[in-house]
Amino acid sequence: MNIRTTGRTATGPAAGPQAAPPALHVRDVTVRFAGLTALDAVSFTVAPGSVHALIGPNGAGKSTCFNVLSGLCRPAAGQVLLGDTDLTGLAPHRIAALGVARTFQNIVTTEGTVADNLMLGRHALSRAGFAASALRLPGAVREQRAHLDRVREIAELTGLGAHVDTPVALLSYGDRKRVELARALCLEPRVLLLDEPVAGMNGAERAATADVVRTVREQLGLSVVLVEHDMGLVMRLADEVTVLDFGRRLAHGTPDEIRRHPEVLRAYLGTGAPDETPEIQEALETPEAAETADPAETTKTTKATEPTDPTETTEETAVTEPPGENAP
Amino acid sequence: MTTLLDTLLNGLALGAVYALVALGFVVIFKASGVLNFAHGSLLLLGGYLVAVLHDDLGFAGALAVAVLTTAAVAGALDRLLLQRGDPDPKAAHVQTIVTIGVDIILVTDLSRRIGGDLLTLGDPWGDAVTGLGPVTVADSRLAAIVVSTVVIAGVFALFRFTPWGLSLRAAAEDVEAAALMGVRLSRVRMLAWCLAGALAALAAVFLAAFPAPGLERTTGQIALKAFPAAILGGMASPPGALAGSLLIGLTEALVAGYQSELHVLGEGFGDVAPYAVMVVVLLVRPTGLFGAKGAVRV
Amino acid sequence: MSELVPKWGKLLLPALLLCALPFYLDAFWLRIGLFSIAAAIGAVGLGLLSGTAGQLSLGHAFFLAVGAYGYTWLAGDPGPALPPALAAVLAVLLAGAAGGLFSPVAGRVRGIYLGIATLALVFLGHHLLLTADSVTGGFNGRSVPPLTLGGFGFTADDPELTVLGVPFGAEERLWYLGLALFALTWFTARGLLRGRPGRALSAVRDSETAAAVMGVNVARYRSAAFVVSSMYAGLAGVLLALSFRRVVPDYFGLALSVDYLAMIVIGGLGSVAGATAGAFFVTALPLLMTRYADQLPLVAAPGTGGEGALGPTEAARYLYGAVIVVILLYAPDGLHGLSRRVRARLRPARSPDRPPSAPWPASAETSPATPARAKEHTP
Repeated sequence: MNIRTTGRTATGPAAGPQAAPPALHVRDVTVRFAGLTALDAVSFTVAPGSVHALIGPNGAGKSTCFNVLSGLCRPAAGQVLLGDTDLTGLAPHRIAALGVARTFQNIVTTEGTVADNLMLGRHALSRAGFAASALRLPGAVREQRAHLDRVREIAELTGLGAHVDTPVALLSYGDRKRVELARALCLEPRVLLLDEPVAGMNGAERAATADVVRTVREQLGLSVVLVEHDMGLVMRLADEVTVLDFGRRLAHGTPDEIRRHPEVLRAYLGTGAPDETPEIQEALETPEAAETADPAETTKTTKATEPTDPTETTEETAVTEPPGENAP
Repeated sequence: MTTLLDTLLNGLALGAVYALVALGFVVIFKASGVLNFAHGSLLLLGGYLVAVLHDDLGFAGALAVAVLTTAAVAGALDRLLLQRGDPDPKAAHVQTIVTIGVDIILVTDLSRRIGGDLLTLGDPWGDAVTGLGPVTVADSRLAAIVVSTVVIAGVFALFRFTPWGLSLRAAAEDVEAAALMGVRLSRVRMLAWCLAGALAALAAVFLAAFPAPGLERTTGQIALKAFPAAILGGMASPPGALAGSLLIGLTEALVAGYQSELHVLGEGFGDVAPYAVMVVVLLVRPTGLFGAKGAVRV
Repeated sequence: MSELVPKWGKLLLPALLLCALPFYLDAFWLRIGLFSIAAAIGAVGLGLLSGTAGQLSLGHAFFLAVGAYGYTWLAGDPGPALPPALAAVLAVLLAGAAGGLFSPVAGRVRGIYLGIATLALVFLGHHLLLTADSVTGGFNGRSVPPLTLGGFGFTADDPELTVLGVPFGAEERLWYLGLALFALTWFTARGLLRGRPGRALSAVRDSETAAAVMGVNVARYRSAAFVVSSMYAGLAGVLLALSFRRVVPDYFGLALSVDYLAMIVIGGLGSVAGATAGAFFVTALPLLMTRYADQLPLVAAPGTGGEGALGPTEAARYLYGAVIVVILLYAPDGLHGLSRRVRARLRPARSPDRPPSAPWPASAETSPATPARAKEHTP
């Protein structure tokens, strides 16, 4: 087990905030797909321990940005730094090992129980290889047990405590979405990337998930980057907001500043009329919520991340061959 | 020089026949996601029907009956066995194994009927040859090239211009979306299987014609060589299947034609050369020459 | 979540039964059992690769051949004539190495493309077995040197052995060897599946992208699955070689690969018990049917009947094909899923698995036991 694990497992979730994570810098990141510019010199910085929201209309480049951060997509130009470590061009599994975890817009869980899924989150933190697991060497058995304990803690923390041994496929939509969140937390991340964590959820589930995000951020002291269409949630949770539109950074600021930003209102509403009443935010979120709550989507458990725009189809191409070592 | 020309023509003819089989694989795969292991036995069935019927019906009549019957059997196989089960496209791997079971039954039955015999198909070309400049070619080979070209052009026209072709392509893109748009998947699928069966029966005729000695119970195994052909082109691409088939046919003919120069590789390397070519191509292009660069859906 | 430590009690009874069999069954039955055990070892390996890691392989026969021929050559003459036990271990490692050599392809090529690429292994391997006759004996194959362990030979009379009044010939001895190797397979494969590598492999199968962002080195795990699966195949090959006492190239053809694929699908993908059940089914059924076909209606005894009469071998093939079709039509999740459903029906009271709120599509009625099985990866 590496230092990060032992450190975190020993202190446990209730032991108060950890040392602040390093800042995440995104500098002039540009991504092009077959002539389309999906991200155009986008820069922002996620302050240590903050919740940073990325918002913008569909096709604005939010998901592409997440794919760059998690190593699924290599930018044509620009840099991503976690503290002093350059993440640009690292393979996804290396970035994960550095403590960057993410969830997906559509649920991507594996077959098996909740615990099986969460244990996958412990992959980068554990070591047991093929030989040790096959022969069930004492080290491997001990490691598995220790990680299982921590998995149970995280399940409790995220409200999945009662479902640990339930097959994921039998859970409700909201719970499955939460499994993804919990699995990302199992990586003991320093930066957590959440791609539409409440899409398709009902009001109560949304509130519960928002609570979880707030709690883990306070208790585990991690930074959160949030892509979400639910403006109410964004405004409540975020410390800072970056607005993307057509791949460019349109605005940046605190939620209050964004709420009043004329460019943002124009991009969202097609009008320049500034209006600060919360009804506008309601108006912003409703069509999106209706769209993502499409029942067809809830059945696609494993297929996930349907391309929402042409650029994303191409970007998945880049995913085919994660730049990783071949040798076993 | 003459040898080379000879060999190239042979390869072309072989490739044209493989293309008929490979196209069947591709159409079935596009429509149902199934790798049809029963294709060889469908081919054998087509050949067998021509062999037993040509005395009574004449070659053309026998061929027509064989093509239609094989198409019907293939369609029935899909509709009655494969589509019966789980309609979920994820069930394709189970259906693939079902085709193995069907293949075992069909091959056992046909082998029992054929026994150790060599059946003639009564084709009009016989052992006639034609001189083309410096080379002589068997008429049957020329016929294979011409007929395959015409039929394949027809199949491509089907893809392109008929509602069925459009539905097939839509279904191959996204099953759920196609279903929502009103594509009757079960019929599209079944017709694809019928088409593949018909192509297989046609291929059987040329595989058993001169200079091959006739239809044997092992003729169906030749269908296996269309696997690399289909894969080389990219499993979901009909033009790719055509290109892959020609490549495989030419490779096989060249290796066999220059056997004496290549004796290091062992006797009969021509039979396995297609597979070697395929592995090399897949190393460079993991989804075949014409395959869409495999997008991994998250 | 299952612990790594198994519940030994449940396995004790079947284990004792299997150990007692040689005292009651004759060589014919033991030989069928032995072939089935060897097949089960190979099927567990293929199940790991195709069922758990989602990599379609039609090349399993090739790796079986590497194990079988590897042992034969290493322990034999011509060949280095190593001590047979050492040769067996090396043959397994050799099969693993062969799988590793294939990893540039295995790491890159996916789904159906990988399936056909592995098909090439079978054909090229078969060609090699025919051509390299100084090592392989060519078309006629080679006889397999018997295994000896510390002076004890797995043969009919080296030394003569009688246990509880039952003379122990080659079949009886090999039976216990097979059981031991199978126990090893069962133990290690379940350890793998329930441990960190198994979870990583399932994740790779269900979504390579999700696996990668959870920290799994996808290319490496894909290759490793191939190596491990090939080692099981190699072990199965060694045991098969010992049971057949002769290796011939034609045995290791495409049909064998296809049989193994049928085993794991009939058994139910992704479980060790399923692969085992499928292996027994696919291996033993044709042998038994050939043996007893003359007692079936409509079947002519060997040698009788004229042209076109239904011989026992053919009857066995028909039935084999039909049974594959029927099982998969009515139990697409294989024997394993079937048995789970039967068990679930036998004790309906205890069903914590299905909370009533589950938003479950209609297909749940047909297969409640296997939720949302991920597809084979088809690009």
